[in-house]
Amino acid sequence: MTAVESSAARPEAHTYRPSAFQRILPFAIAAVVPFILGATTSDVSFWWKALITVIVLVAVARLAWKWTPRGELTHREDMRLWRTPSDRSWAAATTFGLLVLPFILASDFTPPMDFPWATWFAVVNLVLIFAMGAAAFNLLVGYSGQISLAHVAFLALGSIVGGIVGVQWSSGNMWLALPASAVAGAVVGAISGLPALRLKHLYLLLATFGFHFVMMLVWREYLQEYFGFVGIRFKGENSPRIASWLHWLPGIDPDQNGEFVITGQFRWYWVIMPITVLSILFMVNVVRTREGRAFAAVRDRDVSASLLGINVARSKLLAFAVSSAVVAMSGTLASFYIGSRGEDSFNVQTVLNYAIIIVVGGFSSIQGAIFGSAFFWFLPEWFKWAREELWLVRDIDFLSDYPSEIDLAIKGFLVVIILMFKPDGLAGMWRDLKAWLGRKLAGSQA
Amino acid sequence: MSASGLDLKIADLTVVYGGVTALSNVNVTVPPGGFVSVLGANGAGKTTLVRSITSLLHLHKGRVRRGSIELGGKSILGKKSPEIVAAGVAQVPEGRKLFPNLTVKENLLCGAASRRDLGGIDESLEQNLELFPQLRPLLNQTAGLLSGGEQQMVAVGRALMSQPALLICDELSLGLAPKIVHRLFELLTEINQARGTSILVIEQNASLALEHAADAYVLELGRVLMEGTAAELRGNPMVQELYLGGGGEAHTSYAAIERPRGGGRRRRPAAGGAR
Amino acid sequence: MLLAFGNFTADPSVNLQLLIGGLALGAIYAVVALGFVLVYKSTDVLNLAHGEFLMLGAYFALTFLVSENLNFFLGVFVLLLVMLVFGLLVHYGIMRRMVGQGFFAIVLITLGIATIIRALLLIFYGPTERARLDLLPQGSFEIGGATVRHVDLIIFAVVAGCVLLFFAFFKYTRLGLHMRAVADDIEAAAAMGIDPDKVYAMTWAAAMVMAGLGGLLFGHVTGAIDRSIEAIGLRAFPAAVVGGLTSLGGSIVGGLVVGVIEQFANGHLGTKWREPVAFSVMFLVLLVRPTGLWGRKDLERV
Repeated sequence: MTAVESSAARPEAHTYRPSAFQRILPFAIAAVVPFILGATTSDVSFWWKALITVIVLVAVARLAWKWTPRGELTHREDMRLWRTPSDRSWAAATTFGLLVLPFILASDFTPPMDFPWATWFAVVNLVLIFAMGAAAFNLLVGYSGQISLAHVAFLALGSIVGGIVGVQWSSGNMWLALPASAVAGAVVGAISGLPALRLKHLYLLLATFGFHFVMMLVWREYLQEYFGFVGIRFKGENSPRIASWLHWLPGIDPDQNGEFVITGQFRWYWVIMPITVLSILFMVNVVRTREGRAFAAVRDRDVSASLLGINVARSKLLAFAVSSAVVAMSGTLASFYIGSRGEDSFNVQTVLNYAIIIVVGGFSSIQGAIFGSAFFWFLPEWFKWAREELWLVRDIDFLSDYPSEIDLAIKGFLVVIILMFKPDGLAGMWRDLKAWLGRKLAGSQA
Repeated sequence: MSASGLDLKIADLTVVYGGVTALSNVNVTVPPGGFVSVLGANGAGKTTLVRSITSLLHLHKGRVRRGSIELGGKSILGKKSPEIVAAGVAQVPEGRKLFPNLTVKENLLCGAASRRDLGGIDESLEQNLELFPQLRPLLNQTAGLLSGGEQQMVAVGRALMSQPALLICDELSLGLAPKIVHRLFELLTEINQARGTSILVIEQNASLALEHAADAYVLELGRVLMEGTAAELRGNPMVQELYLGGGGEAHTSYAAIERPRGGGRRRRPAAGGAR
Repeated sequence: MLLAFGNFTADPSVNLQLLIGGLALGAIYAVVALGFVLVYKSTDVLNLAHGEFLMLGAYFALTFLVSENLNFFLGVFVLLLVMLVFGLLVHYGIMRRMVGQGFFAIVLITLGIATIIRALLLIFYGPTERARLDLLPQGSFEIGGATVRHVDLIIFAVVAGCVLLFFAFFKYTRLGLHMRAVADDIEAAAAMGIDPDKVYAMTWAAAMVMAGLGGLLFGHVTGAIDRSIEAIGLRAFPAAVVGGLTSLGGSIVGGLVVGVIEQFANGHLGTKWREPVAFSVMFLVLLVRPTGLWGRKDLERV
């Protein structure tokens, strides 16, 4: 941020407007190179590919930085999602990273000290799904200021809709189940938001918590009515698949039985990643619209917002509806990805887990949801590895005797410490780091 | 009863909220047993001054960057508010800030929180009721239900319960009928003269404050603009214009005070967003 | 209408038994609700970790009274003392820095504390469940075909005693007055020379002692002592809210009302209806009276 401002202030940086080709090129490279890298088979060694990856990553980031309009901007340019050089640079790098990641993780590379490469793919997929749900939670709690603990209820709703549409009506039609759960989530979300019109703070929190218990009752009743105690099976014959009329698409090679089933981490990644990215982009954009600004106005002071002509009731319900729709969708996606959902899939601990994610990541920032989710899933993996492999740490018996308990304790302590000392969490630290880097860069250029 | 008032010396005080400077290099002195008033418009930093003296800045995420505050020759800067009250500073907060769910009597007793001589509290309560006889029938009423004037009396009484050496009144006149405000100021003068308590009055109502105070300071945008005896300031044409409503040039003068602040960002139409 | 779904019975002795069971459960809820109310009333914090505090109390009771086999009164004294120290620790270690933070951030930090307590109890006591406590008189007697346990009566008496004690404390002591002043307006209280820090510390200590007492009592009526007993904290929410989160007396009435309603839902409709019915009652009360039946109404300034 700081770097941008100071470079804009420099006299030589008058109005600069790159050509359309220059604006698109970094993103085009970021989008194409991963697939070329992925297509080249094992005749090129892993380390060569890794080197190329790093070079391309730096190059697209640098080019996107360089070819950013600056100076006197048109209104259109000023309203862009990625406006500043650093925004565009990060966007290009992220695009490249997201596309190249599955190819790296799918390669048969074995890192030193048995660093858990294979499990990372599963973790990445879980991170993406949870980031989507947590971002929606943050949209509701952080941007609209509507406190809710009914989050997990909507995950359960997503599983129910997934069960009805994707298991009972058809076997494995996740493509229909996802929009259906979004619609169901929006409708039920708006209904669950009704108390927000009358209650605030503590009482709203408790009312939504009540909704959680009601939804848990519905979930258990639904399970027992149709599936019994085994729970819903989203795996096997219920796995989502690509319809045969789409098999001509590039990259889709039907299996031997002529079907293309979404199974395995690599295929799932290509389903989960676009859904997560699109829904997070959707929410980021909602925040930038007129409705999004109304959310913030209502959060800051609803009476004043109503005096400005904002329909407070509509705004609150809309926040609940949008957030719940995305959460329900992430619930459906998670159900199909994880493969089964039973009676104990949703409990108070799940509510707690989401709380941990949003606190550690950064309270009330959509970016923070991604950080928090990544942290939540990587910490146990990393800790497990450290316990087994890391020099000195592996000799502490206490750690290997109580692995999951210590995980839990670490998460608890982190929540407390972050809220006490760094309330904006990992996202805040990231911002600080970027600002610091920006200052350093600006300083060296001056 | 601490009979004599203590003097307050504020030197070079600079206070910031986050990155915003609310007071810069402020010097204010209240002599022992003196009656000083600080005048200023909204946003001049008057309440910040009170918060710095009583160490309540941290509740508003503000902090003292530089300067010293001394009461009776001893520094009170950086002490916790209970210690400051115990040292002899009592305040009538802006907007009264009674405890709305407590009764009048309980409110008054809260004012004696810092006192160690438990036996003397009843005596002080009785003194207060002599000062404000209207409060006697209201003792068991819930304070939140009183009228504004009665509430302000309770607030002053509550502050007096700690037998202060220095009494700070923040915006005593806020939202009250002129008659009641006059009566309150007369009482303050009485207390000042009878008990020797030093008094610092923070006011927007300049004519009233200058009428009762001995010395006065004018605060503007966090700086001391003028200082002098009340009589001097009453005679100052600029004060007359700005704070006493004299002269016909009030409009242009106010424009000078309320010069545009911030505004670095250009405002843009609210269209666009997600497409 | 709803009752038609369950095994509804008009048998008076069954209903009497449910009523008594409900009152016994309600007394437990009242203990927990009292803890919520205490903290909420003077520090404005909704303490979601109170169930965990209670669990801590129950486990410490196991340690001091069963494993160490101390004399009953000495053991209880040690238990309450340890809980008091923990309360001070919670305030001075954690909550003190959170004064002035946003409401939800504070709720979340109590969730963090809950997580830590859960994890530490798992590490130090392990996941195996222990038999419930049997230090209080275990007998029972019959009234009109329904059984009343002595333990329930004791719990009743203890809760009523605590409420009276707290009531007197808030009304007649200087510290109690200061606690109420801080609850009303922390800034004004600080300006009057009341030390909010000290008041908050006392509050947390008192809440922890209540939780210790609650854990000791609940340890006698729960099926077994294991880590699932923290759920009592969540289940007591409706009780605290129905009574109004700022009213000591309300917490006891709310506890009893919700306890009885839950028992009847349990007996006539089935266990799974217990929580949804309790929370629905809470929800209805909130819609009609947003601050609970006896809660304090604060004016909101715009």
